Amino acid sequence: MSPEISNQSLLFLIIFVVVPLSLSYFYQLGMSRNIIVASLRGTIQLFAIGYLLTYLFDLNAYAGIPLMITVMIVIASFHARKKGKELPYVLPTIFIGLTLVEVSVLSLWLLFDMVEFKPSEVIPMSGMVIGNSMVAMGLALERMKSEFTENSGRLLAALSLGAEPKQASHLIVQRTLNAALIPNVDRIKTIGLVQLPGMMTGLILGGVTPVMAIKYQLVISLSIFSSVSLSAMFVTLVMYKHFFTKNQQLLDSEEALEAYSSQG
Amino acid sequence: MIQFENVSHGPLQDLSFTIEKKDRVILFGPSGSGKSTMLFLFNRLKDPEQGGIWYKGEPIEEVPIPLLRRKIGLLLQSPNLFPGTVLDNLKYGPSLTNSWKPGDEKKLLEYVQLPPDIKDRDVDHLSGGQQQRVSLARTLANEPEVLLLDEPTSALDNKTAEDIELVLKELIEAHDLTMVMVTHQMEQARRLGTKGIFMYEGRVVETGELPEMLDHPRTDQLKEYLQE
Repeated sequence: MSPEISNQSLLFLIIFVVVPLSLSYFYQLGMSRNIIVASLRGTIQLFAIGYLLTYLFDLNAYAGIPLMITVMIVIASFHARKKGKELPYVLPTIFIGLTLVEVSVLSLWLLFDMVEFKPSEVIPMSGMVIGNSMVAMGLALERMKSEFTENSGRLLAALSLGAEPKQASHLIVQRTLNAALIPNVDRIKTIGLVQLPGMMTGLILGGVTPVMAIKYQLVISLSIFSSVSLSAMFVTLVMYKHFFTKNQQLLDSEEALEAYSSQG
Repeated sequence: MIQFENVSHGPLQDLSFTIEKKDRVILFGPSGSGKSTMLFLFNRLKDPEQGGIWYKGEPIEEVPIPLLRRKIGLLLQSPNLFPGTVLDNLKYGPSLTNSWKPGDEKKLLEYVQLPPDIKDRDVDHLSGGQQQRVSLARTLANEPEVLLLDEPTSALDNKTAEDIELVLKELIEAHDLTMVMVTHQMEQARRLGTKGIFMYEGRVVETGELPEMLDHPRTDQLKEYLQE
């Protein structure tokens, strides 16, 4: 297969949009507008980033890489923050977490010579690490909030037995991390069996040999695995404290008070 | 032993009363009068917005919080057990201070009249009554001086509720515990309580000895409540 797709061929992609559009029309899902906007937006974003990347790849690595990584981390932070915007300091926490994760992963890549320090390698791979970490942090925040609500009775019981917030929320931190890690463990288990991962597919289409593509895929998959774990752990361990007051009281105990009586 | 002086918190207004050692106080009143919130003030799950609370002559804020909560144990309406076995739950409190000794569970299970071999059972496999007994034993494991009970039998059927009530009565008498209990059941109040605090719209309206207070109510609000 040729890695080239002509502009005319690309136009036929419209068929792939017409399918969900027709479904929405026939089943009156009311999603037509959303489907059109999403498809157009996605296309414009991708082309924009394509041209931007072409420009960045030509830049000096020491200017282009930090610039692009900072932009990605800032955007990712604002996005992940939506999942926990009622919590204090959530934006700086996510920003610091993502920066720590990205810097550690990048340092390891460079240290062990897995990736060269040039924009065309570092930027796409960092994008995948930051993107996945962003999702992991968002999920961890969301999960943590629902665990705190669902388990407010147990938390009150633990505090009443003399547990400090850290001890009382052990169960919640454990469950949140568990929920954040399970999909990744499953993904690694079935990697290559159920579907060929996106990066590998891209490299093969681009003409790289399958074994070389697999090596790159391994680097990125395991890097993502580790960054997702670190991100979820970081955000959970920093944020759980905000569910308690300095006097070791469960925050929003009005809600807790209502919730505990409905728990078994 | 515990003294409230002009305490206000949310709907609770200007609460002042004293609870002596070994008192068995029943907190009662219409729903929404703030009784559960008031229990949370005793062990600092909430703090007063105004006024002060004293525990054994010391301002409550000066007692280290974990210590205060171990000394003033709270049993909630639902068992709220932690995932795991009965034993895991029983040793939770004492393990926080490394004071759990293997074998302690025997005595605790005996207090709440559960068989010793239940200790390894998963708490999810227990009946509602058994769960509430485990919850009570878990609170007792900290050897509290005061026991706060928030409608501890209201989620149980009549027979189980009676059994738990008997267990509570025996325990409180045997260990000279001071008790503060919220209940809606006036018969239970007569059987377990020695003093009553009647709450109405966030205020203490009447206090007195039990059962006299129920037999000869002085205020209109209490008369009306007892007739309902």
